[in-house]
Amino acid sequence: MSRRVEVDQQMCEGHGKCQAAAPEVFEHRDEDDLSHVILDEVPDALTAKVDRAIRLCPRQAIRWVS
Amino acid sequence: MSPISPEAAATLPHGINLLEGRLFQANEMHEAFRILRAEAPVHWNPGTDRFNGFWSLVKYEDLLHVSRHPELFISSKGIGGSGLRYPPPGQGEGSSSIITMDPPRHVKMRRLVNKGFTPRAVLQMEPKIRAVTNTILDRVQGRDSCDFVLEVSSQLPLAVICGMMGLEEEHWPAMFDFTNQILGSGDAEYQARVAPDKVGTFEGATLTAADGNRRMNGFFRDILADRRAHPREDDLVSILVESEVDGERLTEGDIVAFCNLLVVAGNETTRNAISGGLIVLCEHPEERARLQADPSLMPSAVEEILRWTSPLHHMSREATADTEIRGQKIAAGEKVIMWYPSANRDEDIFEAPYRFDITRDPNEHLAFGIGEHFCLGAGFARAEVRIMFEELLRRFPDIQVDGLPERLRSNFINGVKHLPVRLTAAR
Ligand code: HEM
Ligand code: SF4
Repeated sequence: MSRRVEVDQQMCEGHGKCQAAAPEVFEHRDEDDLSHVILDEVPDALTAKVDRAIRLCPRQAIRWVS
Repeated sequence: MSPISPEAAATLPHGINLLEGRLFQANEMHEAFRILRAEAPVHWNPGTDRFNGFWSLVKYEDLLHVSRHPELFISSKGIGGSGLRYPPPGQGEGSSSIITMDPPRHVKMRRLVNKGFTPRAVLQMEPKIRAVTNTILDRVQGRDSCDFVLEVSSQLPLAVICGMMGLEEEHWPAMFDFTNQILGSGDAEYQARVAPDKVGTFEGATLTAADGNRRMNGFFRDILADRRAHPREDDLVSILVESEVDGERLTEGDIVAFCNLLVVAGNETTRNAISGGLIVLCEHPEERARLQADPSLMPSAVEEILRWTSPLHHMSREATADTEIRGQKIAAGEKVIMWYPSANRDEDIFEAPYRFDITRDPNEHLAFGIGEHFCLGAGFARAEVRIMFEELLRRFPDIQVDGLPERLRSNFINGVKHLPVRLTAAR
């Protein structure tokens, strides 16, 4: 099973905690100074890392989409 | 402050009353919080005729839960400090700033300015922050001693936020004065403008905060008129003047409230992180020596200073529906208070929480809150504290606290009013 994850660009302020927690999934882009999801589907092996990113994001900008 | 009734006091765990500014002034709150975390993690702190009662939250996970449910736990009914009082100050004035605003309007207002506060914006400003820091330190260079708060720690945050707002230096001392009145209103030292017989009373505190707000808001109404007549490129006031939300320009009241928030929030917290940071470094000579030997530890030392000092003691919220926290029923309309110094020493989260460890890892403290209202100025605050200690310890490697800190009487701001320091090695 794999799942999709989303960054709410309204909330994100580029703190970069997500990229530090799960660099395979999140990428900070210079053009808008925001975080972008770079994997369409997150494999199970990365679920724990994404959960950690969700917990650490200061702006509560990341969520799973079912 | 009127004491709570004896019947109410009897319900308090170990008689701990978190409405007492004295507990915090004496720096005795950590022991109180340790007891509460172990024995009464969610307890009702009764109010008085002048203060609302509230549910007291002291566990890290509970602060996360409340901060992350901004619709269930709202900020618009008062967020703390004098907001514990009812009616909340500012009510009836018709304008509020983002810190007392709820979704969905909150994020729209925040987005008007948040590009100015991103990590990249902070990075661009670093050389300026370092230059200002050195100008401040130049003024005490060559002296043996100074009041670290008045002459050093308060000056950097003041310069940074006033600079971002485009305020000329001649106005900075007034900003310092107003913020002291607003957030230090309960402390007799800042009640100089009320009648002598009111000093030290509840009324003296209320009048002091109101006077500070009135003077600051009056000042910003004049600044606003000036920016409308003479628009400028990039200061925060001018950005707000040009901004629209839902197709409407901000009102004068909205802009003034926003400016008031930026000056107050930008000053009173960072100042105390710097003062508290110096105190804790002097109290832990081994950690300090480690830092001075290896300045690359500075970013992580700053996080530990923030965790340790938790410059803001609390924020409060009001529940919009009946709910539960840790099995305790909370009714709609009741207040909850999040105690940051307690969450930041929660044994379930931090290993050896009472150890000051400049290389602590992980260190996911909540000094800046989290979620919807996560501190807008966190990046600037971190940079200011880091750059100040880099320059301070480089230029004054022997600096020592030299006498007792005079602490603020407040359960809201972990404030230090005066801090005598010796700048040079003792002879
Ligand atoms: C060490 C220094 C600082 C600490 C500990 C601190 C702490 C906090 C905390 C805990 C909150 C969250 C309030 C809540 O959840 O209700 C907050 C909000 C805020 N802070 Fe800071 N702060 C600091 C420095 C600054 C600076 C330097 C600025 C401005 C330049 C600033 C501007 C703000 C603003 C505007 C908000 C409201 C954000 C919102 O409601 O969306 N703060 N701060
Ligand atoms: S941690 Fe949150 S706020 Fe920071 S870049 Fe990632 S999504 Fe954005």
